[in-house]
Amino acid sequence: MNDNELSTIVRESVAEIHASTPVDRIISRGRAVRARRLIPGVAGALAMAAATALAVTTVLAPAHPGPMASGHSRSLPTSHPGSHPASARLAAWTVAKQANGDIDITINQLKDPAGLQATLRADGLPATVSFSGILLSPSCQGYLANTSTLNAVFQGHGTYIAIDPSALPSGTGVAISDEPGAGLPTLSGNIPTLGRTPAVHPSVPPLSMAIDGPLAVGLVYTSQQCTG
Amino acid sequence: MGVGTQQLDFAEFYRSAADECLRAVVVSIGDQDTARELVDEAFARAWASWRTVSRHPAPKAWVVRTALNASISRWRRRRREVPVADPARVADPPALSATPVGPVDPQIMAALMRLPARQRQVVALRLILDLDTARTADVLGIAPGTVMAHLGRAMAALRHDLQPELQQENRP
Repeated sequence: MNDNELSTIVRESVAEIHASTPVDRIISRGRAVRARRLIPGVAGALAMAAATALAVTTVLAPAHPGPMASGHSRSLPTSHPGSHPASARLAAWTVAKQANGDIDITINQLKDPAGLQATLRADGLPATVSFSGILLSPSCQGYLANTSTLNAVFQGHGTYIAIDPSALPSGTGVAISDEPGAGLPTLSGNIPTLGRTPAVHPSVPPLSMAIDGPLAVGLVYTSQQCTG
Repeated sequence: MGVGTQQLDFAEFYRSAADECLRAVVVSIGDQDTARELVDEAFARAWASWRTVSRHPAPKAWVVRTALNASISRWRRRRREVPVADPARVADPPALSATPVGPVDPQIMAALMRLPARQRQVVALRLILDLDTARTADVLGIAPGTVMAHLGRAMAALRHDLQPELQQENRP
């Protein structure tokens, strides 16, 4: 069997699979995605405007709470958990709490997981965050949710995560980690790169992926040690 | 381009590309139900960003890549439930759906699922989407030489897995 014959066999093996979702439904869903994006876009523009003002006044006053938080900025250090310092420079991550209660997270660099974790907790979200290739800390117990629950809590793409806290099952919080071995070549430099860190944890088998993604999210049982 | 024209343009793209994208994702992850969800979501995102995606050199690859990246909201529960003695050997365990695989040849799908995830992705992009090596490398963020190496290993493994079965079928 040569390569051409083998290729044909592989192609034919899935040739009877057909997409069945009507395009109208796809477009309708796409409109919802687009509408959802507009809200953080507006918030981002406001935050950038606020950052410009803060850059001028930061010597005189501490950062004010606002709709967005950013972490590990080089122009302004992260202040106490719950405050939302803004920065005109690229932040390692940003957190934006929407009017509907959703929490949008964009992770640009795998830096300052403790700051991100503190910010999420300050926004009322039980959370544990790790950027060390360790999916769950020893103090956390994973909650095995079904797909529909996970999809209700999490929406996301690439390095963007939208979390709906109201969809969390009772007694659960969220866990966010880099995805060991995921191959999204988003970042480079001296910091850990998204998806490049090894999975090393003595008690939890490393999670690999059936499909790629730079980040892993899931649900955990809330506890003081795990989710604050 | 007006919204109506964009919509027609996208609808034509969806009609022409949806089957291939779905097959590529099925080959990559094994589970048809999940693949359908992911591909639907990826196409929805393509429509949400249609001005950009329509100018992408390989919009089908954009959709497949987006679908594969959508794993962000999913735990890999199967891997957590079973302690692993040698993670490297089972880093990509079969992800065959518990539900009937429908029109897919189960032996061939099982052979595909025995491949490491990256090799399956290369197979999906090269053989199902018919992308060239350079585009596949670009989509996966790996070197072209690595794509060729993965494809070579995948083909060798598939040949090794399927040859006896095919010979058996052809035997009188």
